[in-house]
Amino acid sequence: MKEELKKVVAAAQKEIREVQTLHDLMQVKSKYTGKKSILNNFMQKISTLSQEDRPAFGQTVNTMKQQLLSLIEEQEKIIKELNYKKTLEVESLDLTLPGRKRGKGSLHPITKVWRELEDIFILMGFEVTEGPDIEDEFHNFGALNTPEDHPARELSDTFYLDDNILLRTQTSTVQIRTMEKHQVPLKIISPGSCYRNENDASHSPMFHQVEALVVDVGVSFTDLRDTLTIFVKEMFGDKIESRIRPHFFPFTEPSAEIDIICVKCYGKGCNLCGGSGWLEMGGAGMVDPAVFEKLGIDPEKFTGYAFGLGIDRIAMLKYKIPDMRLLFENDIRFLKQFK
Amino acid sequence: MKISFNWLKEYIDIKLSANELQGRMTFAGIEVEGIEELGSTLKQIKIAEVVEFKKHPNADKLSVCQVNDGSSTRQVICGAPNCRNGIKVAFAGIGTKLQDLSIKKVKLRGIESFGMICSEQELGISEAHEGIMILPEDAPIGTDLASYLSIEDTCYDVEITPNRPDLLGIIGIARDLSALLELPLKIPLSKLKESNESINDQLKLENKVPKLCTRYTARMIKNVEIKASPDWLKKHLISVGLRPINNIVDITNFVMMEFGHPLHAFDHSLIKGKKIIIRKAKDKEIFPALDEENYHLEKDDIVIADTERSIALAGIIGGANSHITTKTSNIVIESANFLYSSIRKTTGRLKISTDSSYRFERDITEEAAELASKRACELILEIAGGQLLQGKLDSYPAKRESKPVTIRRSRTNKILSLDLTSEQIIKYLTSLGLTLLNSSDDEILKFDIPYYRKDLTREIDLIEEVIRLHGYNNIPTISNPKHIMNKYVFYTKRKVEDVLVNYGFSEVVNWNFGDPNDLDKLNIGKEDNRRDFAKLKNPLGESFSIMRSMLLPSLLKNALYNLNHGQKDFRLFELKKVFTRKSEKLANEKLLLSGLMIGQVDPIYWKIKPVQIDFYDVKGIVEDLLDHLNLTAVKFEKSREPYYQPGMGTEILYEGKVVARIGKIDPKIAAAFDIEIPLYSFDIELQEIFELDISRDSYYENIPKFPPVLRDISFVVAKKYNYSSIIEKIKNSGEGIISKIVLFDEFDGGKIMDGYHSLSFNLMFSSETKTLTDEYINNILKKIIKNLKDSYDAVMR
Repeated sequence: MKEELKKVVAAAQKEIREVQTLHDLMQVKSKYTGKKSILNNFMQKISTLSQEDRPAFGQTVNTMKQQLLSLIEEQEKIIKELNYKKTLEVESLDLTLPGRKRGKGSLHPITKVWRELEDIFILMGFEVTEGPDIEDEFHNFGALNTPEDHPARELSDTFYLDDNILLRTQTSTVQIRTMEKHQVPLKIISPGSCYRNENDASHSPMFHQVEALVVDVGVSFTDLRDTLTIFVKEMFGDKIESRIRPHFFPFTEPSAEIDIICVKCYGKGCNLCGGSGWLEMGGAGMVDPAVFEKLGIDPEKFTGYAFGLGIDRIAMLKYKIPDMRLLFENDIRFLKQFK
Repeated sequence: MKISFNWLKEYIDIKLSANELQGRMTFAGIEVEGIEELGSTLKQIKIAEVVEFKKHPNADKLSVCQVNDGSSTRQVICGAPNCRNGIKVAFAGIGTKLQDLSIKKVKLRGIESFGMICSEQELGISEAHEGIMILPEDAPIGTDLASYLSIEDTCYDVEITPNRPDLLGIIGIARDLSALLELPLKIPLSKLKESNESINDQLKLENKVPKLCTRYTARMIKNVEIKASPDWLKKHLISVGLRPINNIVDITNFVMMEFGHPLHAFDHSLIKGKKIIIRKAKDKEIFPALDEENYHLEKDDIVIADTERSIALAGIIGGANSHITTKTSNIVIESANFLYSSIRKTTGRLKISTDSSYRFERDITEEAAELASKRACELILEIAGGQLLQGKLDSYPAKRESKPVTIRRSRTNKILSLDLTSEQIIKYLTSLGLTLLNSSDDEILKFDIPYYRKDLTREIDLIEEVIRLHGYNNIPTISNPKHIMNKYVFYTKRKVEDVLVNYGFSEVVNWNFGDPNDLDKLNIGKEDNRRDFAKLKNPLGESFSIMRSMLLPSLLKNALYNLNHGQKDFRLFELKKVFTRKSEKLANEKLLLSGLMIGQVDPIYWKIKPVQIDFYDVKGIVEDLLDHLNLTAVKFEKSREPYYQPGMGTEILYEGKVVARIGKIDPKIAAAFDIEIPLYSFDIELQEIFELDISRDSYYENIPKFPPVLRDISFVVAKKYNYSSIIEKIKNSGEGIISKIVLFDEFDGGKIMDGYHSLSFNLMFSSETKTLTDEYINNILKKIIKNLKDSYDAVMR
């Protein structure tokens, strides 16, 4: 029987060394060492031996089994290493081929600056609110201290739906709506669409503005300047100075227009700024006491400032967009430039 | 630090309940971190009598007792040598929870035991653990130990902030509460009777480190009797978590808890050379401490030494070589101060913390040293007897003077936004023990600071005290959120835009003007409310004569523009207001999101064949968007929109409201806009969605502990049964454990009959409560298969 065992083991060893895949190896393993394997058969035949031969034979079978198992383990390592090398061969790539991409979309440049300016003001403690585009005369003109016979109220400047209903010409309407609805103190901005009856290379009948309004005890002209300075530098960079100069708006007193240093020539004078070195950004001022009085707010106790800036203009200056019409053409070759 | 409610009441007549006081302390800046009903452990312990006492048959040291606790008699195994028949004991029945053990029924050497007879140590009453606690003969059986020993108290665990070393003793806390509650404070004043013998004949003092040891006092008492403390003293210590040891040590601990000033007692006979020297340690000196540890000292540590060796690690722990033992008769009471930073350095390096070092690290005052010393001597004479020698040794190198501090009424009111009168300010500050130095001024008030409040050095410190007593929550609040900004709408708009950009959409911005003819081109019905135009009186022209009521026409025009400029694959969206107006004064303005898709699913990629967009591409994106908006339980219905190709448009409803629509633009409609290629569009009714009452947040759900089981099923079924009804059937047959159903294959033709198709699903089963067995899953699968067969005549493949 010992001879027989030797033969079997020799055959097993040969078989193990020739196996090429892990699957085959496992089959060989169960054939020789598993529950119903050849080696186990030998163990069962042990009863045919004499009492004294049994322990020695049993031990031999076990030793053989251990030898085969470690040989299988070795072979497993060899196969795995071969597999690994095969993987390296097969998976060798031209790494310069293009990668797989999903099509990328884009936010409109107006939305991009819109969001950025909202975030700047939110950091400064402003709340963002919006008002209706279709307004009544009172909120667009009357409450903003614009006289009945003011030229701005003319049909040529303003789109009307009815005698009294119009498309707002400015986001300042939201100042009034917010003060009507909420108690002072207030600190809000309101971005949105505005409309004016004009359409040429530098004027779009629809455009976007952001309005700011701050009302509290002790708000001063300095607060207005500070806020504007911070905003301009956050939006355009620390190099861009701003200034305000006297102007007229019916609902602010003192009123001002806001200029920033030309983003192209930094004040030297160029075609963008028309040689002046400055770009006009919007209007500002301290809220006229008459506006407060109309809303029942005590102008002796509360003061406030307001300003309005053109979002489209900021987008054009920030992204160096040369022509306003590009903003509304929606050419995807244009749109995809803004990631 | 632990303080006891009963003990506190010895100095101040508090009328509040223990719980009420907790709130007041916390809002006065003494934060109560924990509150413990003392005696709750002892309440479980019953007084019982040993009615039978026998040796354990299998163990020499154990005995088997029958114990009567008034309600029943139980068998208890006891190992104590002092246990005997007829004594009254403290009995813990089954289920009692002592400090770190809970009493259970046990078998000891073959005999069952139903409880435990406790020692004083086990009860946390003292260190005695030599034997069980034996109660007086008249102790009433069945009474709980807490009431018998009258240990019923509340213990607060308070956090003392580092700026308030004056609160490190119960008197300090009482002093603060007396100001807060406007109650008089009773501080024990000590009167000492001294003998004729002078301390100078018995002990000398040398302070070699006057910068590090800022005060050292010593008093000496002869012929004291060292024994256990009286009950009242033990109870006081137990109530703050300290263990009674012997009368002298207990008194030093008691006084430390009272005045917040640690003391130490030496055995006079063990002080070599009869001289106390305060000096720096020798480098690498080994100090054997009371806690049986040997500490390796460095040359910057401060030690108390005699002429031969160190006898205490200053302010931290006493020495094993000089402490009080039962043999002691003459004692020296040390009450001192050490530089807090030096103590902190030493404790930090040696990783040791004691009740003493905890206090010295916080810069307690030199003045308290004398008060504590006198109080301790008074109690020792009373409790341990003996004679106090005349005088004291006192090294007090430099008295720290506190400077007066000025507070301005106007400044106080400005910072606190209050309108306090100078009388109120004076009342608050004097109640804390400050003394007003000028009484004529209404604005500028100058105060002398008591020794125990060295933290008060500037005006702002006094302002803090004023508001602490006035009450932080009596400060007016002015602002409430106004909610002018709708944050949900604001950020959801951004989120929706970002999702679309990630899906490859480019945002367009069009003028809000519209052309009424566009609605005709889209076949919008005459009665459709999108024809309630907000019409301009003076438009730029007919094609700009209304405010848009739909975004789709603009998108179609944008598509045409881009197609004409050679673009073939693009996705556009616009998120804008649309307008309608009936008779109202103003218009109805609502937010709408519309999108358009043309061309290929993906950008050209060399590994795959290009695929044209179909209905399901758009649907997937819209479903994802709705998911981002937390809209999950939606229904799909055939769309009634006239501009979708018949059968190729769907409306998505949430609780009966249309929240979105998706479809293929009817080729005839597209042609009306001069577009000849397939294109798909969708609308998301954002305004409607923003107005829905739905959960806007995500909430945590338990992550299944058990691994999911995955199974596939495939079957052939008639096409007339739609997917969603089949899914519903599978889900309903799944006993609630199907967590995911994924369709992974669909095909028809070949061997499959006309009007039928094959569907293959991947089902995920998971349970939160158990591991799912194959058998269980197989049964569910059988049920699913049967239900599909019965309802839809589905045949498994």
